Amino acid sequence: MAVPGHRLDRMFNPKVVAVIGDKGPGYMWLHNNLPLKERGGRLYSVQLDEKEIPGIEALGVQNFRSVLDVPEPIDYALVAVPRQVSPYVLKDLIAAGAGGAGFFTSGFAETGEELGIRLQEQLAAMAREAGFNLVGPNCMGLYLPKAGVRFNADAPVTDDGEVGFLSQSGTHGIMFSLVAAANGMYISRCASFGNAIVLDVSDYLEYLMLDDETKVIGMYVEGVKDGRRFFATLKEACRRKPVVVWKGGQTEAGARATMSHTGSLAAPQAVWDGMMRQCGAITTNSLDETIDAMKMLVRARSPRGDGMALLAQTGGQSVSMTDAFAKAGLRVPRFSDSTYAQLGEFFNIVGGSFQNPLDMAGTIQGNMETLDRILRIVDADPNVDGMAMELSAMFAARQWKSKPETLDATIATLAAHIARSEKPFVAVLHPAHEAEYVASIQPKFNAARIPVFQSFERAAGAYRRALDFSRAKA
Amino acid sequence: MSFESVVAQARAEGRTLLTEVEAKSLLQEAGVPVAATLLAKTRDEAQALAEQVGFPVVMKIVSPDIAHKSDVGGVKLNLRDRESVAQAFDDIVANATRAVPGARITGVAVQHMAPQGTEVIVGMTTDPQFGPVLMFGLGGIMVEVLKDVSFRLVPLEEKDAQQMIDEIKGRPVLAGVRGQPPADIEALKRTILKVSEFVQQHPEVKELDLNPVFAYPDGALAVDARIVISEN
Repeated sequence: MAVPGHRLDRMFNPKVVAVIGDKGPGYMWLHNNLPLKERGGRLYSVQLDEKEIPGIEALGVQNFRSVLDVPEPIDYALVAVPRQVSPYVLKDLIAAGAGGAGFFTSGFAETGEELGIRLQEQLAAMAREAGFNLVGPNCMGLYLPKAGVRFNADAPVTDDGEVGFLSQSGTHGIMFSLVAAANGMYISRCASFGNAIVLDVSDYLEYLMLDDETKVIGMYVEGVKDGRRFFATLKEACRRKPVVVWKGGQTEAGARATMSHTGSLAAPQAVWDGMMRQCGAITTNSLDETIDAMKMLVRARSPRGDGMALLAQTGGQSVSMTDAFAKAGLRVPRFSDSTYAQLGEFFNIVGGSFQNPLDMAGTIQGNMETLDRILRIVDADPNVDGMAMELSAMFAARQWKSKPETLDATIATLAAHIARSEKPFVAVLHPAHEAEYVASIQPKFNAARIPVFQSFERAAGAYRRALDFSRAKA
Repeated sequence: MSFESVVAQARAEGRTLLTEVEAKSLLQEAGVPVAATLLAKTRDEAQALAEQVGFPVVMKIVSPDIAHKSDVGGVKLNLRDRESVAQAFDDIVANATRAVPGARITGVAVQHMAPQGTEVIVGMTTDPQFGPVLMFGLGGIMVEVLKDVSFRLVPLEEKDAQQMIDEIKGRPVLAGVRGQPPADIEALKRTILKVSEFVQQHPEVKELDLNPVFAYPDGALAVDARIVISEN
């Protein structure tokens, strides 16, 4: 149990899971949750429809005709029944003492229809009265990779979860989970919570804040139900660990879209921004920015200052890199005299430069000892608070492909630097003309826990956000 | 005047907008620096109060039926002696009565005319989701046209007040431009924090505006104050 005594602890650490109302031919929800068995849990199905039952049993899942027939206490249920049936299922789940349930069922208040609104009110009233943990409705429910509970068949099952994610949107929850995994960051616990009629973002946030497996929390929100509680919970959460908040509906047009998506009312953006800063939260505007900020927070050391050493491979890139970091409000200071003296001993300044930024490909010439020497010298410079280094697919991909050991050596050199340095380090690997190949080597960087970004701007943005967070904490 | 009695009085009269004299008196008691404003019911009282607050003075009509005081000729500035105060009292009452026949005239507010400082605004509104929100900005065109303002939820901590001041785009103006001395940032912070405390203690307050607040090299002073309370 991850947070003993918390009301969400049972459903966030389930052993017994029931999928209610799944349908063929895909049986999406049963497929999503099949890994539960290999993780030591038990998966049951509840389905009345006779014609669906053979398909369910063919998956090796035992089916019951009622929630009340399931032979063990249900820790978490995923409900995918038609909306009219949902109050009956909820009644049974409450009677069975289930730990909580995600309602994939939609067609409630978000439709604006009278029936949908009435059914939603009915569900909310029943769940509140019983103190039942209702996730959603109109959501994808929970993704718990350690337990084997999933909201998507591509989402990994793993014990290596370290980031929590909360999402008002099912798509953003799934996409974040998949893109994070592709970047070597795994989910500890994720909740897609849709209309949030009973449990709201603050409830989940409180759990993730207390959960030791969750090192960094991310969230996508369109609006909150109880603003004062969200303010208090977020403030407390940010004292304990970094929280990255991606707000949907920041523009007037976007706010209209959130209204029809999740029925969320938006506070004026400037008020929201002020509150974020007051809480010490990290704010982002997109999936990419959210991934980048969280990657920086879990993979790099906390920035202590804004003085960047920029290690580019060539001259043109050294200029672009400097502009990107300077535009993010970071400094590119002169190195100390000692650094210049040491670099001057071996640096090839014909077609290169050891100012800050460095233009160093001509000096390194593929020699990892030289790269290592540069990294050590720059790392020791007192004017340098953090380092960013360009890796060039345009120049190196051909060699990395033909001699994979050269890529491995580069990764080993960077990993050794990260292990020994107390300063944050970020790598930039633009896909250039080798997008497919660069994607194929990402797992190597992930395994070495090197934070790699796809552009200077993205690396600079992530560094900036991590710096703002450490300054807000100080 | 206690807060409760002022609110009770206003509600009894069917008002949600407090008079300037009421608003300033409550804020002054709460430790917010405001330009002292006293209520004169007669021209003699006006003269005495003008001497009490110190010349030059500003005089304004106080009436629950008149919201826009300048429009009705209800404001007189820069009055430097007893005679002009007496004349102003008569003019203000006559103008108001003429412009709004039947208006209830509570009296005329007399306040010391504060020397010009850098104009800033401290405001508060109630957000339906997040409750009381404070706003800070530079006065005049900066807030009206450029929307150069910052927001924080009540209650504020000291760092919040500091950040609110620091994050507006016009921040260099407060550091002193074109030979102006720098504004007293600590005094502005204290003002913001006092307003936060006041609002927190009195959930009846729905809106509050200190506009303008004069920021001086040494201190700050709210020259005008407006408070709206909830209906019940």
